[in-house]
Amino acid sequence: MAVETAMSSAWRRDVGGAPRYRYCVYGVVVVSDIPLALPEYSNGSLGYVELIDAPASVFLAALDSAGIDPRSDSWYRYASLHDGSTYVRWDNVGQFLVARDGRRITCHKFENASSESFQVYLLGQALSFALVKQRLEPLHATAVVVNDEAVAFLGNNAFGKSTLAAYFLEAGHRLLTDDLLVLQECSDRILAYPGPPRIKLFPRIASRFLGRTVHPVTLNTETDKLILPLDEQRVSATPVALKRIYSLAVPREACRRPDVSIETLSPREAFMELVRGAFNRRLVSPLRLERQLDAMTKLTELISIKKLSYPRTIARLDDVRRMVLADLDPAVEKGAQRWPSPSQSA
Amino acid sequence: MAISFTERVSVAPDVLFRVLGEEGVLVNLTTGRYLGLDMVGTRMWNVLTNATSIQAAYEELLQEYEVEPARLRADVAEFIDQLLGQKLIETGPVSDEGRQSA
Repeated sequence: MAVETAMSSAWRRDVGGAPRYRYCVYGVVVVSDIPLALPEYSNGSLGYVELIDAPASVFLAALDSAGIDPRSDSWYRYASLHDGSTYVRWDNVGQFLVARDGRRITCHKFENASSESFQVYLLGQALSFALVKQRLEPLHATAVVVNDEAVAFLGNNAFGKSTLAAYFLEAGHRLLTDDLLVLQECSDRILAYPGPPRIKLFPRIASRFLGRTVHPVTLNTETDKLILPLDEQRVSATPVALKRIYSLAVPREACRRPDVSIETLSPREAFMELVRGAFNRRLVSPLRLERQLDAMTKLTELISIKKLSYPRTIARLDDVRRMVLADLDPAVEKGAQRWPSPSQSA
Repeated sequence: MAISFTERVSVAPDVLFRVLGEEGVLVNLTTGRYLGLDMVGTRMWNVLTNATSIQAAYEELLQEYEVEPARLRADVAEFIDQLLGQKLIETGPVSDEGRQSA
């Protein structure tokens, strides 16, 4: 994969052309027509994506001969086009065309969308198509840095990944990425790459943990979730070795019991959790599935993957953090552990 | 579906299997569906897909596990039925080579 030369500034201006901004996110070089809330380009070796701002007519022409996938729900639209490119759109946010090789995303922000909201979808869901097309296997996970190693919380939407991460931030840990985690094997260890320096939280959680330091923007019209930019003191800007993946139990199941528990998964169970936690499940070509099979198998071999169950109440987050820190301590005996609920330990 | 133990099992086209410790996972590249196998399921998969016939696999498993013959026969048939349902295996007549060694 080509690696761009480091530059001292995040942008340069092509001769006679529009400004081209250069960034690095998830270990991938991003060259963009539009300015993004990302750190300046430093180093990126996993891939390359060019972002091109385009008028709505470009998308109409591209969709002319393609039908929208009938599985697309009311506000999210998806189409696989004949030339191998992918069209995705979120009403009130924007639309995106991801090239067949994943190295170019043509994008268009809808008029009523905020720049912050547009960037969340661009650098999350839309970019995930480009990452998969460039043979990366992103996970649906949020990761924090504990003792200079990455600890990831894996789970679907509304499983509590960001809320748990926010509690770790409040306790002084740094955020590595929120929602989309890119991993890469490097000399028998797995490196986890930093995402955009922001976190998405519901207002109640945001005001409880981060409200004093940030200026939030609403994610979209369909949710109360806020986008909270994080300053450099709260994020990790460099890749770190992945220590552990905690797959978060389904909130409804976890609420049935009052305990916080960490359970070691068998390799098969761990593998299935990883597959369920794949970020992009739209692209299912045989080539992608085979690559995913090998990537998840390797990850299962190299990383300890555990199931984390806890009641989804703010009052128990400190117990969860303490339990996770104890579990990460090599001196602690491995295996299933149970944290007594306050009523039991009283 | 009635399973004939005189037939043999083969891995369906576009199905991949990976060993994870003593367990295994399968993916059907056509349907995109994954299936995890526990330790016993993994052993059954390995024996069935390498045996000359289902009957030969059954006899090998009967030697290996403490289990009532009727129970094992029913479990093998159910396992094969599940794998066929997910298009992970195919069944067919034993080959000439298998017939000679049986």
